[in-house]
Amino acid sequence: MKKFNILASVTVILLFSILIAQNTPTAKSLLKSVDDNERYDSIKYTGEIIIEYKGKRFVKEFKAFAKGNENSFIEFTNSEDRETKYLKKDGRLYVYSPDTEQVMLISGHMLKESMMGSDLSYEDTIENERLSKRYTAELSGSEKTGGKDCWILDLTAIKKTESYPKQKLWVTKDNHELMKYELFALSGAKLKEYKLIRSKKIGNRMFPVESEIRDLLRKGSRTVFKLDNVVIDKPIPASTFSMRNLER
Amino acid sequence: MTNIKNRISGIMALTTIAWRNIWRNGRRTALCIIAVAIAVFFIIIMRSWIDGMFTGLEDIVRTYETGHVSIVSARYDADRESYPVQFPVADGASSQSLIQQIETMDGVRAVLPRITTYATLFDSTKKHALIWGINIEKETAINDLNLTKKTNGIIDGHFPETDTNGCAIGKVMAQKTGLKIGDSIPLKMVSAQFSDKYWNPVITGIFSFDYQKFDEDTIVVPIDRLQKILGLDDATQQLVVFAHDSRDSSSLRNRLRSVLPKDSVIKEWDENYWVAMFQSMTGLYLIIFAVFQIIASFLIINTMLMIIHERIKEIGMMGALGMKRTEIVIVFFLEALILSTLGAAVGALTGGIASYLGSLYPIDMNIMTGGGMKDFPISGTLYLDFSFATIIEGFFFGIIVTGICTLFPSLKSAFILPVEALRR
Repeated sequence: MKKFNILASVTVILLFSILIAQNTPTAKSLLKSVDDNERYDSIKYTGEIIIEYKGKRFVKEFKAFAKGNENSFIEFTNSEDRETKYLKKDGRLYVYSPDTEQVMLISGHMLKESMMGSDLSYEDTIENERLSKRYTAELSGSEKTGGKDCWILDLTAIKKTESYPKQKLWVTKDNHELMKYELFALSGAKLKEYKLIRSKKIGNRMFPVESEIRDLLRKGSRTVFKLDNVVIDKPIPASTFSMRNLER
Repeated sequence: MTNIKNRISGIMALTTIAWRNIWRNGRRTALCIIAVAIAVFFIIIMRSWIDGMFTGLEDIVRTYETGHVSIVSARYDADRESYPVQFPVADGASSQSLIQQIETMDGVRAVLPRITTYATLFDSTKKHALIWGINIEKETAINDLNLTKKTNGIIDGHFPETDTNGCAIGKVMAQKTGLKIGDSIPLKMVSAQFSDKYWNPVITGIFSFDYQKFDEDTIVVPIDRLQKILGLDDATQQLVVFAHDSRDSSSLRNRLRSVLPKDSVIKEWDENYWVAMFQSMTGLYLIIFAVFQIIASFLIINTMLMIIHERIKEIGMMGALGMKRTEIVIVFFLEALILSTLGAAVGALTGGIASYLGSLYPIDMNIMTGGGMKDFPISGTLYLDFSFATIIEGFFFGIIVTGICTLFPSLKSAFILPVEALRR
């Protein structure tokens, strides 16, 4: 009888372990889901960048187009920045400024600069490559974030040249939505923090339409991105991503 | 009366004995005099150096940073290290009307609007620079921007005209980047509305202000063009007020409070961080000088102890012949005091000559520091501050500190018993 009890207990423990293991996704599959959720062949939208800096609030409006990872075009439409345009083409970032009426290439140290005074750098905006191609992931636990149960993923950069050698991601357990992430320097110092405020179902994915990012090196600063009129995977003319369009 | 006369003649006699004793060993006396002289010499030179540096620092702060009274907004003041342009004076009110209003006040010589902001250069040799937007015409009429040569600082070309796409860069920046007159400098700034503003000003002049921070890192531009680019309209980041007499700064500051909005930060030039820090360090310098003088006095202390040891039989003899203990002490103390006075006199004379020469022929600080003083508001050329007060202070400081130090060895002679001394 005693032997039977021990055997039954071991069987139950084993069964539970198998069930738990089956419900726990692998870090790799989770990261792939995150990528798939935010992946598109083309996208266009209008948006707002709301910058709050030391008690002041600045709102910028823009329209954006992107095709794959290589091509994107942003034009600012609010009065202070009207006609300021950015073009990412073949991995290079160009800006057209109405003040100089010139196209300038943003490269090297300029890429580290804040874009339009926001908490994002130019580098942050041009990096569209899938996370799963740039980082190796490790599942480090789970916790509740923004009222949702999330898996926690620790990412380590594959290449040494990556702007953020380490990242920490909070991914919802139910639909693998990216709720929050933190970006770290090689030293382990936290540099930036992202939080999802609102997402919207577009097609069969939950697309982030309002989010907040904080550059922790800038005291008292916060940037909110709001996206409207999001259209995914509809054809965009190739001329949108041309130098002529930038200068026009 | 007779008693006083006797005392004076007594001291005179003791002084004569002390004076004769000094020259019994000329080499030792010369060494003591040299030691005190070196200490006094360095105290005078160091004092002249520090005073010269402080005067230079005050001039730099008044010229480039604050004027006699500086006006900024409270939010700018809280974050002034990053030179934000988002928080203009009087919350963006017209700077022209403010300037006109302040210039009508009694004792005001001029009011200058200024904007300083960081720019990122597209050039990869020099990645960042400070943009200094000033009313160039008015600024050069009020200030010598090269404080050493008392000129506007331009060494090639000219400052940009009002509301033009021009700029002037420092000599060191031109050397490091290879930029010359006619070249343009593509750069990016952040505007008052937190927008990226790209600009491509053309170099019209090269300046040398003999102030490393400006010569290496600063681009001078017309303020009206900068205001437009930064979206400030007519507003300014800072108003710098110059009084006819700098001593009126305090009353001027108080009167300005009634004209400006409550969130304005109005500061006198001596409230500047560097000026206040230097002023607070005066006590520390006094301690350093005293330590220096005490170390120099060790030679005299040592000499006095040796003399007392050598003349132990003589002290016994003096006692046996009826000389009082106090008289013996006075002889040795006077001996030390004469050595101190002679040393201090030699030090004061040579220090005075050196500081006078240093006030005529300046020292190139860039050679000494390798140009590494750019974060410190100090000119690249240092003039020593020559002052008779410094020389006299150095002279008496030397005598007093050395005199106090020699009291102890002199007292030692008083505790030698004549019988004991003669037996040795």
